[in-house]
Amino acid sequence: MRNVGIIGIGYTPVFVSKRKEVNIPEMISEAVDAGFQNTGLTPADIDAMVFGNMHTFEGVNLPHLWAAEHIRSLGKPVMRIATGGTTGMAAFHAGYYHVASGMADVVMVVTYEKHSEGDAQVGLMGIITPEVMTMLAAGIDVTGGSGMGAIGGGSAGGISFQASSYLYHSGAGIEHIDEQAALERRNAAKNPYAHLKDPEATAEKIAQTPLVSWPIRFGHICPTTDGATVCILASEEKAAKLADKVAWVLSVANCASDATTANLIESQITDPAEHLPAIIASKQAYERAGIVDPKKEIDYVEIYNGFAHQTLMYLEKIGMCEVGEAHKLQEAGELEMNGRCPVNASGGVVSTNSIGTSALNRVTEAALQVLGQAGEHQVEKDVHTALAHGWGGLMQYVTITILGDKPKKA
Amino acid sequence: MEDIKETFYHTVAPLDFGYNYRVGTYLQRYIDALKDKKILGAKCPQCGKVVVPPRKYCGACNKVREEYVELSQEGTLENYTVGHITLEKGQVNQAESPYIVGMIKLGGADNLLVGKVAGVSPQEVKTGMRLKAVWKDQTEGEYSDLDHFEPV
Repeated sequence: MRNVGIIGIGYTPVFVSKRKEVNIPEMISEAVDAGFQNTGLTPADIDAMVFGNMHTFEGVNLPHLWAAEHIRSLGKPVMRIATGGTTGMAAFHAGYYHVASGMADVVMVVTYEKHSEGDAQVGLMGIITPEVMTMLAAGIDVTGGSGMGAIGGGSAGGISFQASSYLYHSGAGIEHIDEQAALERRNAAKNPYAHLKDPEATAEKIAQTPLVSWPIRFGHICPTTDGATVCILASEEKAAKLADKVAWVLSVANCASDATTANLIESQITDPAEHLPAIIASKQAYERAGIVDPKKEIDYVEIYNGFAHQTLMYLEKIGMCEVGEAHKLQEAGELEMNGRCPVNASGGVVSTNSIGTSALNRVTEAALQVLGQAGEHQVEKDVHTALAHGWGGLMQYVTITILGDKPKKA
Repeated sequence: MEDIKETFYHTVAPLDFGYNYRVGTYLQRYIDALKDKKILGAKCPQCGKVVVPPRKYCGACNKVREEYVELSQEGTLENYTVGHITLEKGQVNQAESPYIVGMIKLGGADNLLVGKVAGVSPQEVKTGMRLKAVWKDQTEGEYSDLDHFEPV
């Protein structure tokens, strides 16, 4: 396996609810252009492309081919990846495999979502509908208001059991979820590529938003965002020629459990917050990166948190702290940008969610912290290693990427 | 800021996406038992764990479950949420009143069954409560036969 580094990142100029002046391929092209401008590369430098977005959200089945000219992929190998919420990082991993294997030297990963032109709820139903069988298998009556409605509606309803279990086992309260949402919206206010920004956000303000499905309330939930992100990967040899500063990939890992709506039952696992895939994938990633104690060796974390409790829950799952400790770190201010365990200085998914990009943005934001290029949302401590986490699939699929400021020793 | 002229093409694909999913052998047995006001699980021949509703494979042992077992109608509430909205036919609405949905460990089962919980208020519901199944008077062999669970 060859060393692989991130040599370039490109974002659309903004991440907002509605990009009214551009169509889907035009919006994607803005991020591709930014990737080229930021690196000085041209399409001729790119050997292969990986494309990712959420299946069915805009009703476009082959967007990577649709947008071929706009992503400058003519005559190149292109692979499309769709793994739900994790799509962006799964696409990144595919790009990594291309380069690490020696099949390509420079790969561009392109991800997008233009939520305003589709219907996320219909898209989710398109994913859930084949899961009718799984819901029946969990004993859920799917015929009416006591069906999906019974779990509160959409993925917010599905996730409520996870949040409920997290609170029960950690000893945290709903007020910690309120504060985590507020903390990240405050961080988002410092990130030019974030969507929901509120420099004055407080737990009290979040607590005033309506309950959807206890303990999840409106203020804990990610928005739907229009935006695109590009990430360029290169081999060590090429990176030396093409880039001044590189964020090196120290390891990647991913793990799935069996398909379950709302993560209700992982075979015989009875706790929807147990989330074995997060534990397995993070362990593998640490081993591959040569990390023995993540608490000491990981300086910065980007968690995929469609729902605010997930920042706290996953910090525990991936071993950045013990079970029941995340909310105490939050109380002590350690999760803030000037804390000892800074997390989601970007504002996280709970602030910005153009879903195809969401898991890739965890990687690119971790890379910006390693590179010291995060600008106003650069964390106070030195970041030598950073971890990016993705969550998605049918709620039971987890991706992990670990980055460092030096290439991995052979 | 200058107004952006927006021209939309709203397209509707005139396709009727109706699906007919067959429930299969294991859920058919489960549904048939509901008509008789019984809750069935299936037992793994290796680890002996029982899942409800019945499923074919025990993932942990990679074995086919062949034995069906009748479960107790009483169990423990292991997890719950309180729904404040409903989702029906794609429409999200405010619920008439908050309602409890629980994950219940029935006597004899090793996994959790999802069900509506009534007879206790959202303020008073607690993980660990003992619950019992409440059936519709007239059962039809449908999921809705098992109407809800209530405190013992």
